[in-house]
Amino acid sequence: MSDEPGDATATAAADAEAEVTGGLADRWASFRDREISTVLLTVVGVAVFPFLFNNYLNGYTQLATLILIYGIFAVGFDILLGYTGLLSFGHAVFFGGAAYAAGIFSASVSSSPLLVLLAGTAFAVLLAWIVGFLSLRRGGIYFAILTLTFGQMSFYLAASPLAFLTNGENGFTSVDIGSLLGVIDIHGGVPFPLSMLVDNMLYVFVAVMTVLSVAMANRILHSPYGTVFRAIRENERRAEFVGLDVWRYKLMAFIISAAFAGIAGSLFAIEGNYVPLESLYWTESGRVVIMTVLGGVGSLFGPLFGAGLYLYIENIVSGFETLGPFWHLILGIVFVVAVVLFPNGIWGGIDYLRDMVVGGEDE
Amino acid sequence: MTLLADILTILLNGLQQGAIYVLLAVGLSIILGTLKFVNFAHGALYLVGAYLGLFITGQVPLNNGQLAEWGIQSYGIGLGFVAALIIVPIVVFVVGLLMERFVAQAFYDRPDTDQILVTFGLAIIVQELLRALLGGNSQPFPQPSWASGPIALPVVGNFPRWRLGVIAITAVLVLGVYGLVEYTDFGLIVQAGTLDGEMVRLLGIKLSRPYLVVFGIGAALAGVAGVVGGPLANVNPNIGTEQLVPAFLTVVIGGVGKIEGAVVAGLMLGTLQVLLIQTGYAAWSQVGIYALAALVLLVRPQGLLGSEVDVS
Repeated sequence: MSDEPGDATATAAADAEAEVTGGLADRWASFRDREISTVLLTVVGVAVFPFLFNNYLNGYTQLATLILIYGIFAVGFDILLGYTGLLSFGHAVFFGGAAYAAGIFSASVSSSPLLVLLAGTAFAVLLAWIVGFLSLRRGGIYFAILTLTFGQMSFYLAASPLAFLTNGENGFTSVDIGSLLGVIDIHGGVPFPLSMLVDNMLYVFVAVMTVLSVAMANRILHSPYGTVFRAIRENERRAEFVGLDVWRYKLMAFIISAAFAGIAGSLFAIEGNYVPLESLYWTESGRVVIMTVLGGVGSLFGPLFGAGLYLYIENIVSGFETLGPFWHLILGIVFVVAVVLFPNGIWGGIDYLRDMVVGGEDE
Repeated sequence: MTLLADILTILLNGLQQGAIYVLLAVGLSIILGTLKFVNFAHGALYLVGAYLGLFITGQVPLNNGQLAEWGIQSYGIGLGFVAALIIVPIVVFVVGLLMERFVAQAFYDRPDTDQILVTFGLAIIVQELLRALLGGNSQPFPQPSWASGPIALPVVGNFPRWRLGVIAITAVLVLGVYGLVEYTDFGLIVQAGTLDGEMVRLLGIKLSRPYLVVFGIGAALAGVAGVVGGPLANVNPNIGTEQLVPAFLTVVIGGVGKIEGAVVAGLMLGTLQVLLIQTGYAAWSQVGIYALAALVLLVRPQGLLGSEVDVS
């Protein structure tokens, strides 16, 4: 996705231009910028992903599922970091918090996956409202440190004072997930036509949520509301002078991104039937930062790509004979190189290369 | 009398607990205050200090990690603790200089989010390099023989000698840095540069060298913190990231760039933590310091001793 300010008008202009010139690149650009095509691309993407992943990349379906879950987390995080320009170091609170909420809800209220998902996400949104309200009083590094503070506070809360709820250091083990809408066994197999591509229902469930999340993020970012986010990123003061209530928009961006983290966290609890305490630790927040930056901030698909790359290196490369013990180190080096040389991440790098080849529009 | 003894014990333990926070926070704070550089790799410097301290102090057996697999059974040169206390800061000082030259300088003009990201990445690299080479298990860091065992203090009774050592070393170092910044020409230039760099440059003073030295001093303090803090707990590759968050809290609670602030805040956090542990609320000891930090920042966003002007 392109991310010039004022995308709506730019898209309209591109559409008009495409009609006149009809060049191949222009047509592609106008196709790419339409919502329906974004959704279609995502559907095709998540449908063929496990097939390609399992057959050509040494992957397995469980990892593919996990990649989509963290992908949702990262897409939401990017709304905050990439589009609004706020770096939160406490997003694990919403991911892990939602996972705990979903787990506890499933064990004590209802085991319906959709309700569990809803409960987890609602909890994340509520929490984000409070944490965002408090943290957004300061910008820049103070915001990063305040979110970090609330993140660590929740980790230590879950570790001991609230251990009667969260089961402390052992993690929450009594997650209980029932069947979807009372008929579909979420941990079961997939009926025939689909089974050529995917082998388990859980992946399908997560994939549907991924498509919905991407569609939602795309809709938000291409609305005037999303344009305000970008305006705040570019120049907060100017946005304020124009008459926008910057603080409110920042809080909303924070809550929206936490909602995505909540969806991802709930799915994480559903997927693993378990919530580890580490899902609240600040290095978990660091993980999503790395994924997003690695994949590409300010792009829709970059974070998904980053999540895939991170988890692939973590799970597949770590099994290699010689490279294995150094996987985290390799990731750190790749990350630093990305920050220094490719501020827009790998996805941004691909965009750049494509523009060089096709001669796309320069900013 | 026992109440008084209890209070004094808590205060002394708090002083010791806070001392490590203070050592880390003063370095972080002067770097953040003067260079406006957010160093998320400060914990990694602490980690380097701790492992380097181990290396210089004695012989450490290796039982996992790549070095062990390559057939190296132990590492260390066995020069003793005092040598570590002298050599580590010098080495980490140089590391700091290199970091300023090759990392920080390129990021002065980029947003602080980029600074956080790149130093966070560096911290991961250092931590994982150590983990890969030396293994992830905890190494005991022996206390220096001249400071092990208890010492009988008036009123308080027996108190671990090493904890007093930690307090004393911290006090000397922090006073030294404070004197350097407050009472020397070097400090004057640095402070003036913080307030109005442009003006200082117009007066014909090059700021790049003082800034370089400030970074080095900050780094060296983190390195010493590693050596001093090492014997208090085991050394493992995670201690850097574990110490970073409370250190940052100390900085922002105290007020960025304020050495006195870092001292006050560090002692506050340390004492609160010890107080909660010793009164039977150990489970809340970690939550407590974060809650206190959040509270202070909500009431006084610029920190306890920070000035209003600093608020960005």
